[in-house]
Amino acid sequence: MKNSYLQAYRQAPWRQQVQWIGTFMVVLVALAAVAGVYLSLSGRAASTGRRIQVLEYEIDRLSLQIADTNTRLAQVSSARSLYERLNSLEMAEYDPINALYVKVPGYEAKTTVVLAPAPSVQAGNQNPAILPEFTSSLLDWLRVQLAENRASDGRQSP
Amino acid sequence: MNRSSNRFLLVCIAISLLFTAIGAQMVRIQNLPGAQRILDIAENYMGINQMVYPERGMILDAKGRLLAGNETVYEVGLDLPSIRQAETVATVVSTVLGLDYNDVMKTIRNEDGKLKYAVLNNFVDKDKVAQFEALIEEYKTRDLQDGETRPDLTGLIITPYNKRSYPENALASNVLGFYSFKDRTNGLGYFGVEETYNDLLAGTPKQVYMSYDPQKIQNLEEIPPGATVVLTIDREIQSMAERILDQAVETQEAKSGTIIISNPEDGSIMAMATTPRLDPNQYWTYGDIFPGATPFNRAVSQTYETGSVFKVLTLAAALDAGAIEYDSVFNDTGEITVGGITVNNWNDGAWGPQTMTGCMQHSLNVCLTWMALQLRADRFYDYMRAFGLDRNTGIDLGSEAHWPMKVPGSANWTESDLATNSFGQGISNTPIQMITAISALANEGKMMAPHVVKAMIIDGKQYEVNPVVIGNPISAKTAEEVTRMLSVSLEEESSTALVDGYSVAGKTGTAEIPTPGGYLWGVYNLSFVGWGPVEDPKYMVYLWLEAPEIGMWASEVMAPIFSQVVDELVVMLNLPPDIPVREDEWAGGW
Repeated sequence: MKNSYLQAYRQAPWRQQVQWIGTFMVVLVALAAVAGVYLSLSGRAASTGRRIQVLEYEIDRLSLQIADTNTRLAQVSSARSLYERLNSLEMAEYDPINALYVKVPGYEAKTTVVLAPAPSVQAGNQNPAILPEFTSSLLDWLRVQLAENRASDGRQSP
Repeated sequence: MNRSSNRFLLVCIAISLLFTAIGAQMVRIQNLPGAQRILDIAENYMGINQMVYPERGMILDAKGRLLAGNETVYEVGLDLPSIRQAETVATVVSTVLGLDYNDVMKTIRNEDGKLKYAVLNNFVDKDKVAQFEALIEEYKTRDLQDGETRPDLTGLIITPYNKRSYPENALASNVLGFYSFKDRTNGLGYFGVEETYNDLLAGTPKQVYMSYDPQKIQNLEEIPPGATVVLTIDREIQSMAERILDQAVETQEAKSGTIIISNPEDGSIMAMATTPRLDPNQYWTYGDIFPGATPFNRAVSQTYETGSVFKVLTLAAALDAGAIEYDSVFNDTGEITVGGITVNNWNDGAWGPQTMTGCMQHSLNVCLTWMALQLRADRFYDYMRAFGLDRNTGIDLGSEAHWPMKVPGSANWTESDLATNSFGQGISNTPIQMITAISALANEGKMMAPHVVKAMIIDGKQYEVNPVVIGNPISAKTAEEVTRMLSVSLEEESSTALVDGYSVAGKTGTAEIPTPGGYLWGVYNLSFVGWGPVEDPKYMVYLWLEAPEIGMWASEVMAPIFSQVVDELVVMLNLPPDIPVREDEWAGGW
């Protein structure tokens, strides 16, 4: 009686197999979907990383080029170069004895060179010529070292 | 059903065993004795750990013009495993770089097999790299004949990097110093600004791990460049000073020469020219240009007995202490005996009654000795200490020197030293000490710290260097009185020093040269110090010619040089004339 009762509600074996396969396929598809998304994202991240690498190289190249161009510009406009050009153009140097001082109303000669903004008031109190070793306490030094080690552990490969 | 379940179970077990075996094998491999070596090899392919040196900071003049910068040069090397055509590479490299073909082939053959990369040449310039690039391009696009192989330069690696460069060559090199750029990892600044500010210019090198893994690219560190240093030196003024100095040294056949031009109001040095000078782009010629103990910058490193220019300090001290008045009169008998020695005037003459201005005008040693005696030795040397003559000035340039000053109480000081010191003999100073001390006369009695750095740019912020008062040896009243007296005396003593339209004050100095066997005869050190405009001095000029063989008297040799410097200087500084121009002497047209 009991056996016939259980048998009445039991799934057919082929149906059980289909259910197992279906469940397995659902899990497989889900895993594939997750893997696909992961692959896509990591691929894009790697591609972006590669572009950043290329841009880093480009920055390095441009930094070199800027420094080089500045120097070459200074070479062609150096005092000696200008003097040689002056001679080749058959121009005469001014004679200071004959110079006449004329005051031009409103004209003010440039006296200071500002190549970068001034530091903030707080930063202005620090003397940049003094290394931090001479201004920081032992505790500050320890804190910096620990922070650097932590950062280094996270960055270095094994 | 049961049979199929068993089969299913068996398959599962078999697969599980397979994966377990694979896992076990992976664990075993990772714990093999050579595993760590394999891991180390693998790490080479994951990234590179290298020291990154920041770009060395620039040095600019007061108007922002580049005096020291960086230019791109190249390292040419060979990636040995990737070379496909050894003969082609060797031929091209040896032709362009001028290397021996057989040496290059020997490098490429890499017989001991240890090398992966070989450096062939450093500091290769752009022109040669352009030749390589043109050849690479030509080989790529060349039309090949039947059976011809396309030439291939794979394996040739050209890496750009910075090299220190001085676009003005030798200009201001005595101030700049030089950087030993040929040593690419341990280069150092020597002399001048390059030495004093080496740490700031160099920046902070960092050990950086650069991963080849693009996922870890965000870990790349920024390495800021070294600080940019802005000098107080003005390129045009420096160039003018060097031109005039070189002319003077040549025409007077002097052993060396020095010109310093400063602003007495803030101690900034506008020009500092000395001989000889070195082109820092070729710093390895240092030994030839500075043989033996020749100083790199005489203005800060060489002491000498300055002679009569020193008299301005004696006069200022005596006036400031009240030992004399500006209208005191001294009866010059032509000699005075102090501590057993007799002091005479430069011409051995007696000049009779003289005002203090007259004493300076005729540069009377006897009168100045009398002033020092009136002042007394203790106070005289106190004033000289206050003028900073017993120590370095602290100028921000390497290799500053000073000569210890003998004072009462010193083992080798005698009373006669007071007499000779009063007119600048028996006491040695550097030109920078002298101009710093005398600048107090042109700056209301205040002595400013001499400096060549105007500002520093660090991490994109400009830090200005503030002027510093380092002493107040005399009162403003004394400074003004001495300036006026020297302005009047100069008109009579050395009228060739005067500049039309501009008031100047100054003093000449003709000094004997000491040697271990006594003072030289017929050879002198000639100096001149002058400043202007008298009412509100904006510049001070110190000149020194060492042992000229042509001229003998500073009033004849140095005064016209001072006038020539100031003639050009006032134009460069945009200074308006402060005294009427005499129409009969002005050569210009209205």
